[in-house]
Amino acid sequence: MVNSNADALGIIFPNTYDSLIPELVSERLMASIPFAGRYRMVDFVLSSMVNSGIGNVSLIVRKNYHSLMDHLGSGREWDLTRKNGGLNIVPPFAQKNIKMYTGRVEALASILEFLKAQKEKYVVMSDANIAVNFDFKAFMDAHIASGADVTVAYSKEELPASAMKKNDIGTNMYYSFVIEDRRVVKLDICSKESGVQNFSMNIYIMDRELLIEQISTAYLHGHSYFERDILAPQLDTLNVQAYQYDGYLARICDLKSYFDENMKLLDEKNLDGLFARDSIYTKIRDDNPTRYIGGAKVKNTMSADGCIIEGEVENCVLFRGVRIAKGAKVKNCVLMQDTVVEEGANLEYIITDKNVTFTAGKELKGSDSFPVYVAKHQTV
Amino acid sequence: MAKEMIAMLLAGGQGSRLYALTQKLAKPAVPFGGKYRIIDFPLSNCVNSGIDTVGILTQYQPLVLNEYIGNGQPWDLDRLHGGVHVLPPYQQASGSDWYKGTANAIYQNISFIERYNPQYVIILSGDQICKQDYSDFLRFHKEKGAEFSVAVMEVPWDEASRFGLMVADENDKITEFQEKPKNPKSNLASMGIYIFNWDVLKKYLIEDEADPNSENDFGNNIIPNLLRDERQMYAYHFSGYWKDVGTISSLWEANMEVLDPEHSGINLFDENWKIYSRNSGMTGHRISNEAVVENCMITDGCRISGNVKHSILFAGVTVEPGAVVEDAVVMGGTTIKAGASVKHCIVAENVVIGENAVVGAMPTDGEKGVATIGSGVYIGDGAKIGPNAMVNSNVKGGEEQW
Repeated sequence: MVNSNADALGIIFPNTYDSLIPELVSERLMASIPFAGRYRMVDFVLSSMVNSGIGNVSLIVRKNYHSLMDHLGSGREWDLTRKNGGLNIVPPFAQKNIKMYTGRVEALASILEFLKAQKEKYVVMSDANIAVNFDFKAFMDAHIASGADVTVAYSKEELPASAMKKNDIGTNMYYSFVIEDRRVVKLDICSKESGVQNFSMNIYIMDRELLIEQISTAYLHGHSYFERDILAPQLDTLNVQAYQYDGYLARICDLKSYFDENMKLLDEKNLDGLFARDSIYTKIRDDNPTRYIGGAKVKNTMSADGCIIEGEVENCVLFRGVRIAKGAKVKNCVLMQDTVVEEGANLEYIITDKNVTFTAGKELKGSDSFPVYVAKHQTV
Repeated sequence: MAKEMIAMLLAGGQGSRLYALTQKLAKPAVPFGGKYRIIDFPLSNCVNSGIDTVGILTQYQPLVLNEYIGNGQPWDLDRLHGGVHVLPPYQQASGSDWYKGTANAIYQNISFIERYNPQYVIILSGDQICKQDYSDFLRFHKEKGAEFSVAVMEVPWDEASRFGLMVADENDKITEFQEKPKNPKSNLASMGIYIFNWDVLKKYLIEDEADPNSENDFGNNIIPNLLRDERQMYAYHFSGYWKDVGTISSLWEANMEVLDPEHSGINLFDENWKIYSRNSGMTGHRISNEAVVENCMITDGCRISGNVKHSILFAGVTVEPGAVVEDAVVMGGTTIKAGASVKHCIVAENVVIGENAVVGAMPTDGEKGVATIGSGVYIGDGAKIGPNAMVNSNVKGGEEQW
């Protein structure tokens, strides 16, 4: 790899936007939500960092992080088992008088000493709610070339209607920008504007020393949020540059968008958009290849390894180890790891969590606008 | 720290009968079963049997194999003490020697084995497809008080003369060894898997090396010598699936048997005896709207738009619309273009089969050949490859090869 040793360390906030999708995070967090057949959300940004030469990545977790720790292990699958840097999962530090953090400022304040001890010049930060094959190297180069204090990545998208409808003020804030000559001149929080906006991806790069200074000050003032309390008030003094990302991305805003973003990958153009640039790494399960037996009828479906398919499958995303028995019909479904659909069952517009079983002959249907979610370990 | 038993895996075989498939890689590195290579089977058996130290003896075309084994992590063989070690012949103070025979390969690595001070050494072969619990074999070896045990399979009497046969008494004690005899006295074929007490093996290896007339081979020299000296030798009966995949047709057959685990007995879907392999890291496979998949195995990275029937596709295979794939083994990264027909054949890695090309044919009365395409070969549009062909260089569009 030619891009080894980027002079930046990575920080990922695995819990951001958890509450947008309460169904899927009841026993996990945003970063460990299964996505695209064999991945977890965190795999995308984590692999992107590694592929861009960032070999020192910290994940500041808040709660429900056992599934993430299980997934990441020592970080070997991402080549992050290193003597210098590597993978660093930072759980909340119970003894200290730092409470469970709410925003980035508190989260970063809890690792301030760690940040001070690092050698890298830059820090890149990201959430885990966007699946993207992101070129952090180009992002970093743009930041350095522009001489900015902070660079933030955005995409031109409509703001998600579901987020706009939410009326719990102060949580799950999303950000959009007014940009003049690449500089962010106005930062809108939870804008209700319709039409295509400069929608923040919450991917940042800035000088490590500057970050430490800004976080220290903000924390002393009792501030919580990086965007609201650090960036927005200082747009005239801090040079915040906007970096447009125009490649493929899958943003998870609620259960519906989770379903849609999985389904979109059935289009080869989108699949290539997400996976063609650089490898996305994930935990290996050592499944055998998927078997299609006897009367299996399969159309427009993406499936991971370890499945056994004997029934009819159309427009589906199947995760590892899904079993679909003879005579079962499954259409427009996202079935997570080890879902079992027994003989003659009939499913449409269903999202199953891990280890769900549909017994023989059961029929369950959601609709295009309202896919039905079946929680982990349920038997229908 | 001493190990009770370590494994030595003979992986130097050239695999000349697999010709087109082993031009650039050793036989144990030949891909098998959709996402595996042959060597994954003995390596996974070792780990599943609790053996954590494996020496792999390589000689012929070791590059792919070396890279594949790496530090042994996919098999959990990256261990602080022990783990997997690739052992090629090497230069010594008194010159260097190729491995002259199977016994000589072990002889040259006596110092490797001594590092672990084992009580027992199991000798494995890198060209068999078999799921076997070596710890059960060792239990047998200990119960019998054996100095040497060999795993044997019952074979049909009319085929027995193709094998090395062990004649044993009712206590499984071996009384005679017949190498491919005309008149077999037994139908217990040696699987080429042996457990030795290390002190005994070492003594016989040193003696064998000193004998200038020896071929330095386990079957031809070491075992006859043990018999001559009336050592404690026992035959361990194994009754599971076992296949030597040394020929194109047996390799093809074994792959087809993977498709039918209910009858063939080779079940890769076994949670309790997983076969580990190095992962392709590709994304899930995609079956498009116009595709038909029937009774096949498909793995990560495949894009299927054609008609795939009773076949095994490895990682990253593309089958374009209108292409027909039947009874075929198609290895990683191969592209089968629109309208091509690929039947009853083995296609190696990274092959391109052009539009409307025809590779192989379903068997007819007199014709049961398995066409074979070597890795990286380009088969031009409309080319025709007959069922007995072994293709190792590019074939231009419209050309025919038989």
